[in-house]
Amino acid sequence: SFRTIIPTRKESLKMELLSDVSLLPGEERITDKDIIYICPFSGAVKGKVLITNFRLYFKSSDADVTVTLDVPLGAISRVEKMGGASSRGENSYGLDITCKDMRNLRFALKQEGHSRRDIFEVLFRYAFPLSHGLPLFAYLSQEKYAETGWTIYKPVEEFRRQGLPNNKWRISFINKSYDLCDTYPTVLAVPYKSKEEDLRKVAAFRSRGRIPVLSWIHRENQAVIARCSQPLVGMSGKRNKDDERYLELIREANDTTKLTIYDARPNVNAVANKATGGGYEGDEYQNAELIFLDIQNIHVMRESQKKLKDIVYPNVEESHWLSSLESTHWLEHVKLVLSGAIQVADKVSSGNSVVVHCSDGWDRTAQLTSLAMLMLDSHYRTLRGFQVLIEKEWISFGHKFASRIGHGDKNHADQDRSPIFVQFIDCVWQMTKQFPTAFEFNEHLLLTILDHLYSCRFGTFLYNCESVRDQHEVRSKTVSLWSLVNSKVDMYLNPFYTPESGRVLYPVASMRHLELWVAYYIRWNPRIRQQQQSPVEQRYKELLALRDEYLKKLEQLQLSDSSTSSHLANSPTPNTTSSSTSTPSQQYTHLQTPL
Amino acid sequence: MEFAEHIKTANVEDVVLRQPLQPPSRGTLCITGHHLLFSDREESDSRQVLLLLRNIDAIEKRMSGSSGTITMKCKDLRVLQLDIPGMEQCLNIAHSIETLSCLDCVSAMYPFFYRPVDLSLPEQWGLSSPEMHYSQMKELYEKWRLSTVNRDYSVCPSYPPAVIVPKSIDDDTLKKAAKFRQGGRFPVLCYYHKKNGMVIMRSSQPLLGANRKRCKEDELLLQAVIEGSDKGYIIDTRSMQQAQQARMTGGGFESKSFYDRWKRFHRQMERGKALQESLIKLVEACGDESNNMDRWLSKLENSKWLSHVQNALSTAGLLVECVERDGHSVLVHGSEGTDCSLLISTLAQLIMDPCCRTMEGFLGLLEREWIQARHPFQQRCAHSAYSHARLQQESPVFLLLLDCVWQLWRQFPLALGFSEALLLRLATEVYASDYGTFLCNSDQERCALEVKERTHCLFRALLRPTERDYYSNPLYERTELAIWPSVHPQSLQLWKGYFLRWTQQVRHLEEAQEEIRNMVIEWGKLARS
Repeated sequence: SFRTIIPTRKESLKMELLSDVSLLPGEERITDKDIIYICPFSGAVKGKVLITNFRLYFKSSDADVTVTLDVPLGAISRVEKMGGASSRGENSYGLDITCKDMRNLRFALKQEGHSRRDIFEVLFRYAFPLSHGLPLFAYLSQEKYAETGWTIYKPVEEFRRQGLPNNKWRISFINKSYDLCDTYPTVLAVPYKSKEEDLRKVAAFRSRGRIPVLSWIHRENQAVIARCSQPLVGMSGKRNKDDERYLELIREANDTTKLTIYDARPNVNAVANKATGGGYEGDEYQNAELIFLDIQNIHVMRESQKKLKDIVYPNVEESHWLSSLESTHWLEHVKLVLSGAIQVADKVSSGNSVVVHCSDGWDRTAQLTSLAMLMLDSHYRTLRGFQVLIEKEWISFGHKFASRIGHGDKNHADQDRSPIFVQFIDCVWQMTKQFPTAFEFNEHLLLTILDHLYSCRFGTFLYNCESVRDQHEVRSKTVSLWSLVNSKVDMYLNPFYTPESGRVLYPVASMRHLELWVAYYIRWNPRIRQQQQSPVEQRYKELLALRDEYLKKLEQLQLSDSSTSSHLANSPTPNTTSSSTSTPSQQYTHLQTPL
Repeated sequence: MEFAEHIKTANVEDVVLRQPLQPPSRGTLCITGHHLLFSDREESDSRQVLLLLRNIDAIEKRMSGSSGTITMKCKDLRVLQLDIPGMEQCLNIAHSIETLSCLDCVSAMYPFFYRPVDLSLPEQWGLSSPEMHYSQMKELYEKWRLSTVNRDYSVCPSYPPAVIVPKSIDDDTLKKAAKFRQGGRFPVLCYYHKKNGMVIMRSSQPLLGANRKRCKEDELLLQAVIEGSDKGYIIDTRSMQQAQQARMTGGGFESKSFYDRWKRFHRQMERGKALQESLIKLVEACGDESNNMDRWLSKLENSKWLSHVQNALSTAGLLVECVERDGHSVLVHGSEGTDCSLLISTLAQLIMDPCCRTMEGFLGLLEREWIQARHPFQQRCAHSAYSHARLQQESPVFLLLLDCVWQLWRQFPLALGFSEALLLRLATEVYASDYGTFLCNSDQERCALEVKERTHCLFRALLRPTERDYYSNPLYERTELAIWPSVHPQSLQLWKGYFLRWTQQVRHLEEAQEEIRNMVIEWGKLARS
């Protein structure tokens, strides 16, 4: 009986170790195993790993060190075997896992009996399901939420919010079956005077048919942000009258004297693109000026992020931190993206329409239009408005999430991968730091978005464009990330948010005022992590509750006020002025900071 | 008044003032003995700028034709420009500013003339005194006593008249120990850790000299500190090599053989000229307006300012580790014991003791460690980063302290009862002030000049209800825990609120902070009503 008792005890201990994992609905255990996690911060830690079809979970068994890892398999970009059956040295035989979210994991196993073979295979299979003919986890998830995130963005409604259609701009359904442009959404806003056949002719002259369409219109001055891909000028310097005429229509829509075309690329790259059939708008575009914004391409950004990872993981650079950071150029790229967006926003707010493009118009262009819109339109600075912005400018306009992130794909060295969306979120974070009261959402939302950019738990960031998403029935078969977010809004709200509808935010895009987003890029290092984070979060939650209570009381006060004085009756929200001298309402009105 | 002889032109009309964040304005310039006053001529919305001449660190004058331009670089890092018609007037004004901004005579300085109508001179100057401090700390009574051996400043000119020392050590022993310490700064208690009864002591270096003198009384004094425990620690703010070299000039360190129950750590901290030069480089980089890829981060790194911040915080961390974690008493000193020692003992108290983190607590701490225990403010803060004058004793140690406190505030947004605005105010006041608090180099000098009778005290002013409200941290929640800062370079930030203060962006952030403060206060009021 002695023999049988011991294994049972051991077994129950192991079970206990993994018993606190709460699996998602639809998540299934695949395997578990005793393993050693080579933690870069606490050294080798014995424990047990659990692999499900969604995550890798590790829990230490040593009483003195508690280490828990909970990594969605979607975050894994590469799994490698480390050492061989004959490798010498302690913990030299095992697995090396590279993640997409700025960390690496290393596990050691016993050398006897090919102990890593099954776990390697399981990991490889479930981390890269698409390479093995398996579905992404988003299709297996059975999660249910009170809110349906898929309805957060309705193109026609969003255009209506912007005041469209009007007598200068119309809504076109020419792309309803994706035959004008297979990477565009079905609903497009185009100049009122352009005919459907014009659009087809323009599409022939724009890379991948991505014609200039309206992204945003300024309610007062009617200036617009239009986006597109590069014109197919080529080496011979081709012209296209229809394209030229079409841009004229955009200019004429609000009598802009000169249409400004922002080419996100550095000048030399734009020239080089002619060799592959692309190019930029030349002098033949009368009444147009072309400005290059000097933002580098996806390959440069990928290398920059790689360098950044090198100096923050596993060990942070200590002695020459700032100059090392400088040599990654990451902040410099952030600066260029931000300052490009500032130029776009400034042009539009001074009444001039702009057209923004890069090469294909789905990376840098998306960064510029969405950031400019965030500066111009306070709606996008609300929790739900921000979701709309991402759905609209990134997801519906075909930022190639699948290619840039490589969801479920084993090909880690794919040259199409690039942290363009991460860079965008970084720019948003820089803005939230510079304007602590202007955004309804908090840093936690940005972190959550980036976590699920990789996790494959939600359908939101899957696939490259709408047409492919339709083929894969993403909306009906997967859950939206916004379902999660909008079901527990409190977690993502900034207690200090002060709505100011008319205000244009111009962040300062000088190196002096930019910071590395430590809470994201260095969050795996327990020594760098912001200390006492939970009391701060707790305090913010209390403040949110206090604010709600305050707003409720304020409303009551105003109600009782309006019963006596009728002029307040048409103030819809507490943030319009009240005649009383109570400071609360002043608070919302005196904040207009001149820029 | 003898000021008059320095003022040949007191008034100039039609002067254009250019200052950061404001459009240029035209108006009248006035020079008085202590101030530069500019009032513009706008009928409505008229603006006045009143600047303490003492605040001006350096001026540059440029003549062109019949007019001239004076650029004034202030100690609060503001840069102002005056366009003055008339060459002679311009030269006169420049001369007045140059002379009056750096008068050496303390009793002629503005605090002696500052008489606000709503304030009468205080009966009590300062927040506390060593006597009051001791009497409030009942825990001390058993083993510690208040000695008035220095009542006439004869034992140690830079100490206050009363100091706290081990009960078993009599005044004669103190006198002898004082002779063995530079400037007479014998070891005195500066902090008592209630949780475990351990203490922080402060002193200057022992005067061993080349032939390794020893002093029984000094040894006895230190022995008495750790009575009943197995050992104590000494944190020497110099490197081992520096400490050894100090023997050549009569100084040195506590050797193992005579102080066998004391374990020494050496942590080299930059001070004096090196620190001042670091500040100058940093301010230069911050003011560089060129917009090209300007290698800002490299310049920031080259200034080394942030590594001084890191070094100060990590040395303070070591001190806290000794006291709080290891449960041992510590003696801190460098050479004079008036700069880095104060810096790290202040930071350590802030990290360990929640009582030091309220606004009163913090100001009280500054008063004990920096005013009473004597940081030579007048020498250290005579000039700031712009001055072309040859450096003498200038060193921004106090500014470094404020920067470190700001880093704590940033890492622990709930733990401190005061806000960044208080730190900014102190950083400005220490260089040029209406108050007498930062005048002179020691308590003795302050008494000789009757500073306590003839000037207002900044700390008391800051604790008046309106001011206290303004400088409070709305998110404050007292925690009993030590607030251990992360000192990795990734966790430290440039204190933009100070160094980039006169930029639009920082101004905007300042406003946002104030907005948040008002919001939280307002919510609280209404919720309670």
